[in-house]
Amino acid sequence: MSSFGFGLITAAVLAIATVGFTMQFAVTNVLNLAYGSVMINSAYVTYYFNQRGASIWIALFAGVACGSIVSWLLNRFIYTPFQRRNLIPITLVIVSLGVDLCGTFGLQGIVGGSYVSYTMSQGHEFHILGMLLSGVQLIIFAICAGVLILIHWLLKYTRMGKAMRATSANPNLARNSGVKTKFIISMTWIISGALCGLAGTVFAMNSGVFEATSAELYIVLLLAAMFLGGPGEPYGAMLGALVIGLATEISAAYITADYKEVIAFLVLLGMLAFRPYGLFGSEKTL
Amino acid sequence: MSVELTKQGLVLSTTGLSAGYDGRAIVRDIAVEATPGKVVSIVGPNGSGKSTLLKSLVGVVKVLEGHVTVAENEITNLAPEEVAKLGVGYVPQIDDVFPPLSVKENLEIGGYLLNRSEIPARIDAVLDFFPKLKAMMTRKAGKLSGGERKMLAMGRVLMLSPSVLVLDEPTANLAPMVATQLLEEFVRGFADHGSTVLLVEQRAKAALRISDWTYVLGGGKVVLEGAPKDLEQNPLFVESFLGGSAAARAARDE
Amino acid sequence: MWFYLTTIMVYGAVDALACLGLNMEFGVAGISNFGYIIFQAAGAYTAAILSMPHAATSNGGFQQYVLGWNLTWPLPWIGAAIVGGLLALPFVFLVGKRLRGDFAAVGLLVSAVLLNLLVKNYIPFLNGDAGISIVPAPLQSIFDPQGIGYQLAYGAVAIVLAVLVYFFLRRITESPFGRSLRAMRDNDVVADSLGKNLRGQRTSVLVLGGMIAGLSGAVLVGFISLWAPGAWGYAETIVLFAAIIIGGAGNHKGAVLGAILVPLGFEEITRFLPAFGPPSLVPALEWVAIGLLIILFLWFRPNGILPERRRVLSTVVGRTPVEVVASSDDDDSVNIGAIDEFNFRAVLPTTSVVNDHHPILSTELLTKSFNGVTVVSDVSITIEQGRLTGMIGPNGAGKSTTLAMLAGTLSPSSGTIMFEGNDITHVPSYKRAQMGIVRTFQLASEFKKLTVLENLVCAIPRQSGDSFWGSVRGRRFWGADDKANIERAEEILEGFGLSQYADAYAGGLSGGQRRLVEIMRALLAEPKVLLLDEPMAGVHANLARKIGNHLTKLCEGGMTIVMVEHELAITDEFCDPVIVLAEGRVLAQGTMAELRANSEVVEAYLVG
Repeated sequence: MSSFGFGLITAAVLAIATVGFTMQFAVTNVLNLAYGSVMINSAYVTYYFNQRGASIWIALFAGVACGSIVSWLLNRFIYTPFQRRNLIPITLVIVSLGVDLCGTFGLQGIVGGSYVSYTMSQGHEFHILGMLLSGVQLIIFAICAGVLILIHWLLKYTRMGKAMRATSANPNLARNSGVKTKFIISMTWIISGALCGLAGTVFAMNSGVFEATSAELYIVLLLAAMFLGGPGEPYGAMLGALVIGLATEISAAYITADYKEVIAFLVLLGMLAFRPYGLFGSEKTL
Repeated sequence: MSVELTKQGLVLSTTGLSAGYDGRAIVRDIAVEATPGKVVSIVGPNGSGKSTLLKSLVGVVKVLEGHVTVAENEITNLAPEEVAKLGVGYVPQIDDVFPPLSVKENLEIGGYLLNRSEIPARIDAVLDFFPKLKAMMTRKAGKLSGGERKMLAMGRVLMLSPSVLVLDEPTANLAPMVATQLLEEFVRGFADHGSTVLLVEQRAKAALRISDWTYVLGGGKVVLEGAPKDLEQNPLFVESFLGGSAAARAARDE
Repeated sequence: MWFYLTTIMVYGAVDALACLGLNMEFGVAGISNFGYIIFQAAGAYTAAILSMPHAATSNGGFQQYVLGWNLTWPLPWIGAAIVGGLLALPFVFLVGKRLRGDFAAVGLLVSAVLLNLLVKNYIPFLNGDAGISIVPAPLQSIFDPQGIGYQLAYGAVAIVLAVLVYFFLRRITESPFGRSLRAMRDNDVVADSLGKNLRGQRTSVLVLGGMIAGLSGAVLVGFISLWAPGAWGYAETIVLFAAIIIGGAGNHKGAVLGAILVPLGFEEITRFLPAFGPPSLVPALEWVAIGLLIILFLWFRPNGILPERRRVLSTVVGRTPVEVVASSDDDDSVNIGAIDEFNFRAVLPTTSVVNDHHPILSTELLTKSFNGVTVVSDVSITIEQGRLTGMIGPNGAGKSTTLAMLAGTLSPSSGTIMFEGNDITHVPSYKRAQMGIVRTFQLASEFKKLTVLENLVCAIPRQSGDSFWGSVRGRRFWGADDKANIERAEEILEGFGLSQYADAYAGGLSGGQRRLVEIMRALLAEPKVLLLDEPMAGVHANLARKIGNHLTKLCEGGMTIVMVEHELAITDEFCDPVIVLAEGRVLAQGTMAELRANSEVVEAYLVG
């Protein structure tokens, strides 16, 4: 049962990350493989402020801001210009890999290879429904759940959220309706970037210790969650993250913890082989 | 029919217009004018560039030469969202709705440029116009049938309160009776209430029935134009649709 | 100093081999194999465990691994290549027709990560994270592996292998099979419609690339004597991609150049840099440099230092290849006169078929729905051999969808399709093309990085060089056949008045010219039934007429043509019978005269 608890936390963090990633894909049609790199850089920005005395919960905002700004810059100065170039589609993926290398190893060059961790108290331990969770984990869960609700509210009830969904479905028609799609796309990257920064920081919190390459494997869990729900579908991303998060942690209780990511990989390969548009998508959406 | 759904029309005109993709012109030297209270139609065989022409008016395709104006404003190569702001409503032939959004949300996006408070009233007005949509407000647009979809597409553009309506083959995909109703009631109705209507139609006869002026496109150029009753008498016109492409050939040989 | 030279020789050869293999997969065939490194790793591990003694009995049993057969060279290297090739087979499902290129690439990337994780954690398999060490050097019982003579010989053998692989890959790439691979890379849907077996081609290339990668791993592990998961993280594949992009994707010389500049170059530069900063700084900066190089090259010079060469096929000597940027004005300049004299039937093989108008292609209750919306509904039509059947109807009537189902590009939701008495409903599109059902597409679909001649020759079926083994047998085997094919293509090109563009890249032609290339290409595919999707759209009216006339003559000669058209004038003049579709259903069938008499049709669909 305790692994269920861990699973929920993992799922919550993964959901934030995946929703951000899938929003970027929805609006730009690019698999931003530099996402993990932005996550870990944001985690380090939080660390920077945390080390200088800020409480982790304040420093968190710096991490979120970092994710936001860097993601926006990435789209504005790299992805958008490259897209105008009319090169074969795989080029953008390779470019994103290049950015990922620069981001991750540039960071490693600056901060070195040793593990670090945040200065924070773990809080009390709580027994809830047979699960043993620390105060920090509960706060993480609360933050993630809260942010997901905010995203839901944004997409479903606000003018901008609907404009985002319209832009990802049919950008030309959106423009014909008066939507400034350039602005909407920028906002999407800013918001999804914030999610990325948040995910990076809470991921680091949840991991305890981390270093520059810690988020490398994370992209795989993220892709598994996204493809399970359907590429470009934020609600699918939430569901996918729940399934993958729970599955990896629960499977860790039964097979060695070393292999827990294997379930995610198998799900991803399975979805790609049989249903690449995900559980919520349909053939035509690709 | 509710008057407030369209505003008083503006004049939409082009001079010497050439437009196309990747710097290659598909239509050349087009001079077209649509005035308030009138239906102007553009007909012609496939590949003659009708859709491209419309797209170049609203900023979706690049204008290579020439000018497009609405009232006194130059809108050549203006961004589509700016063109919409000026009151030009465009309904494309395909990809005319947002499939993953509900009918209600499609209409809301149609009203993107309006004040929040105005939207519910306009939606009600559009629903009065297309009552069938009332029962489908929460259904996703991608799940509608062809006719329902086209109604939604028209509804979306009406949300804008357009002064100029630019319609690309609005009857494509529709059953004959529905198509006739669309053209005669709605499209003609918009014009009769004062707005400017420019439409491209494949069903030339149906278009002629409701038009005040018609341009015939062939090979990217205007080969004929005139009032429908004159055109119907013109042997070139008849031939261009039933016989060889004599009209196009004639124009080229000039 | 000599030892340093031998290191460069071996590393250079290994990197060159790896890059050549990946270039074949990515540069030539368009397969983005982001998991490439696992094939090299598989080869290295295989060579290791084949050449080492049994795990439990060697060196005190401090390593765990499977096999341990103690084989002598060259068996471990051969085994490595075989395993590398076999490993490719399970991944074919990812690169099959239906999955988007970037999704498949990501799937391969993830597989690389997964396998690395598994090997790292499951120790009994390949000794986990510690890797396998004390791998014996080839023939170390006879020669002293530390001696300079041995090492020089090793380096020489490695280089010879790289050179042999280079020439082997060039042999394949310069053949008709190589042409088909490049066509698949440029536009796989169209290549499929011309009869190319995409899955088969991709399988061949993946296996070949895997074997080469495996061999490179074997050569490497024999030299450095150890191999661990740290050496083959997924990022290593990115280094190889960088090498190919910088050197020139699609060009094997470029792949070798890239190998020398990037993996080898980086390795050697860091050797000579003074150590500065903390120990992790320099390797980290290497990665940053690679990332930057990738971005910069893709921006400024995406074709690399040595771009893919233009293949000049013309048999006419002395013709200079034309660099074309055509405008649509060129449509008017097509030499129409020549077409009148041109005898299509002389160029295409005589169909010794009796023109008896028997039903050759038919459908029964053909239906297609997308997401609950029915686009084509219960369409039952019969196409008669030797006739030019028109299919008309308003936009959205389901014409293109029906055509796509006849060709096999789309599979029907229900209903059957019969061809020459056989049920072909579930036959894949490339097989249908080979049977003689060839289609064209509405939108421009030329192979952009192939010349016009290459585009045309590519379509010709049953080329002896258009298979893997055919290409291996070399020019002596397929040369004469290819020359005859090229001459045929040149004739038809001349007939359409486009000879001056023979060696121009097809991507540079004007819209009308590309349309003509497409029709020529479809004709060269020797169709029994030719499915044309709005072939005259945007074509000069006079030219359209001429083409129509020749299509009619082809039908007299036995070909069957189905033409989806909008232009009623064309349909009226050339098509007989005509099928009218509306709202996904068949409204009427008959001659144009009959349809004109059918008031329902006239009222609704002819002239509105």
